[in-house]
Amino acid sequence: MPRYKNVNGERIQFTAAEETARDAEEQAWADGAVARAQASLREKRNRLLAETDYFALSDVTMSSDMTTYRQNLRDLPAGKDTVDKCNNATFPTKP
Amino acid sequence: MSIVKLNNNGVKNATEFGSITGLGSMIFLSKQTASSSSTISFTSGINSTYKEYLFTFNNLHPASDGVYLQFQGNAAGGSGYNETITSSYFIAYHFEDGSSSALSYSAGGDLAQGTGFQRLSQNVGNDADQCVSGYLHLFDPSNTTFVKNFIGRTATIADDNGPVDSYTGGYFNITSAIDEIQFKMSSGNIDAGDICLYGIA
Repeated sequence: MPRYKNVNGERIQFTAAEETARDAEEQAWADGAVARAQASLREKRNRLLAETDYFALSDVTMSSDMTTYRQNLRDLPAGKDTVDKCNNATFPTKP
Repeated sequence: MSIVKLNNNGVKNATEFGSITGLGSMIFLSKQTASSSSTISFTSGINSTYKEYLFTFNNLHPASDGVYLQFQGNAAGGSGYNETITSSYFIAYHFEDGSSSALSYSAGGDLAQGTGFQRLSQNVGNDADQCVSGYLHLFDPSNTTFVKNFIGRTATIADDNGPVDSYTGGYFNITSAIDEIQFKMSSGNIDAGDICLYGIA
């Protein structure tokens, strides 16, 4: 199906060169799906780790439950090599 | 100088107001309505007439789920939307089920001397009621001494069902004038919605 662009309010069909360029962009987007899902997973994981970073301060004692929780967070991305695995990852429960 | 005290009766009965000058103006320049549009480009109206230009996005609905709105510029006399940009991008979000919320920098949305398209939103859902709205300010695009600053903000209902407030700031790191701006989704078409362009005097 041909693509169209809006230019100053006018609807214009893509040229062959524009179709080729957009096809390449769409392919790159599809190829990057797993990487985007993994990045999203790590972003959320990192935020959860940051929330408990203060337990690692020298004047705070970290419980074994918290140590396990943080280790499970660090381990979470391992093996998540598909979009489904990333999207359905189960985050550990914060103690 | 006299001071006139208005009351409800006075305003109600007024038939004419004097003009107010010197306050500046926001001038509507053009509007484009998406209709299964791969790209939306403004190639006229961006010039030295105004020191600031404002694009508003109203209910842009993507054809694909989980894609984001982005933009790039083209320098006067140049070809292609591929100018050098350095930018920052951060978001605040909250899921509808209340399960998660955060304010965070999102490195996936920034550019460091990149020539790709600049992200303006988080991933937009494409359910029938999902869309992205917001604005982009472009400052003094015709200036040939300084870089071209921009700031953007969008409200998105994300593909995982929650509002995301996205903040983009940065500059085209060129001293040539920018006279064309293009918007598109990271993948697929913009099915519906409109983008308006205003000049700020």
